[in-house]
Amino acid sequence: MRELRIAAVGDVHLDESLRGRYRERLDDIEEHADVLLLAGDLTRHGTLEEARVVADEFRDLPIPVVAVLGNHDHHSDLPAEIAFMLSEAGITVLHDDATVLDIDGVRLGVVGGKGFGGGYAGKCASDFGEPEIKAFVGHTKRIAERWRVALKELQADRRVVLSHYSPVKDTLHGEPLEIYPFLGSYLLAEAVDAEGADLIVHGHAHAGTEKGVTPGGIRVRNVALPVLGRAYGVYCL
Amino acid sequence: MEAPQYVAARVQRALAEDERTHELGIRVDVRGEQLFLRGQVTGDERRALIADVAGEAAPGLTVRNEITVMEVRGPGEEEKL
Repeated sequence: MRELRIAAVGDVHLDESLRGRYRERLDDIEEHADVLLLAGDLTRHGTLEEARVVADEFRDLPIPVVAVLGNHDHHSDLPAEIAFMLSEAGITVLHDDATVLDIDGVRLGVVGGKGFGGGYAGKCASDFGEPEIKAFVGHTKRIAERWRVALKELQADRRVVLSHYSPVKDTLHGEPLEIYPFLGSYLLAEAVDAEGADLIVHGHAHAGTEKGVTPGGIRVRNVALPVLGRAYGVYCL
Repeated sequence: MEAPQYVAARVQRALAEDERTHELGIRVDVRGEQLFLRGQVTGDERRALIADVAGEAAPGLTVRNEITVMEVRGPGEEEKL
């Protein structure tokens, strides 16, 4: 089975002032990668004008593009409209579900979605108390369960999870400890560890670090643009 | 006099909540009469806008804009997992 080259980046935060600037870095992407994953926060304010820039920067690439949205992409309460606009540009947008790509006969399964926060094992919010806290934790629990089901049902040769929020603390190193609960949740990693995957990529933590691993031994890469400092990371499976 | 911690917190909130910026990744420190901004953004225009919003949220302080503009490099070397 051939090696798959996974390109990934998140937190590109595009708007009209950046039109064309990212695209010029993608010109020869097919020389470097077989697929491009976008790990959310593609816009700054989650407006349709910004989403149009995202669609134009990533449309008609010679390799498939799979994306999830981030918290910024939700800010204007238009996530469905943004996802539709991206899908019109040929980008597959995951919302706690899966897609399978055939790359020269190798099936690459990508499961993912925005993810959410709550914190990490032993130091996290619980589904207890006021309805506001229950809603916060419940949102993450439902997402993690949908990922677990999607991974369980996934029929693929290689399995990658694409998230915006971080499933582990390793890749947050450099961020203030106090904001960890807003950067991700261990429930996401627990779900992926339960069903197995070859790689998890996420964004969101601009001041974090690139490399980490789940408690179950799955490699995690923080591909937030400020962390990478390059147009995209490439990971070979 | 308002405690510097509250001033810094107000500026940080303004950067996150002001529709001109919605910027979550900037570190804000107040030292005496000076307001320090540190972090990375993708363009000069944005760097200047963040300083404007921060200055409005903390009138009377001198804004020290130490934000750097990030140059996006090519993809670089691949990693084999």
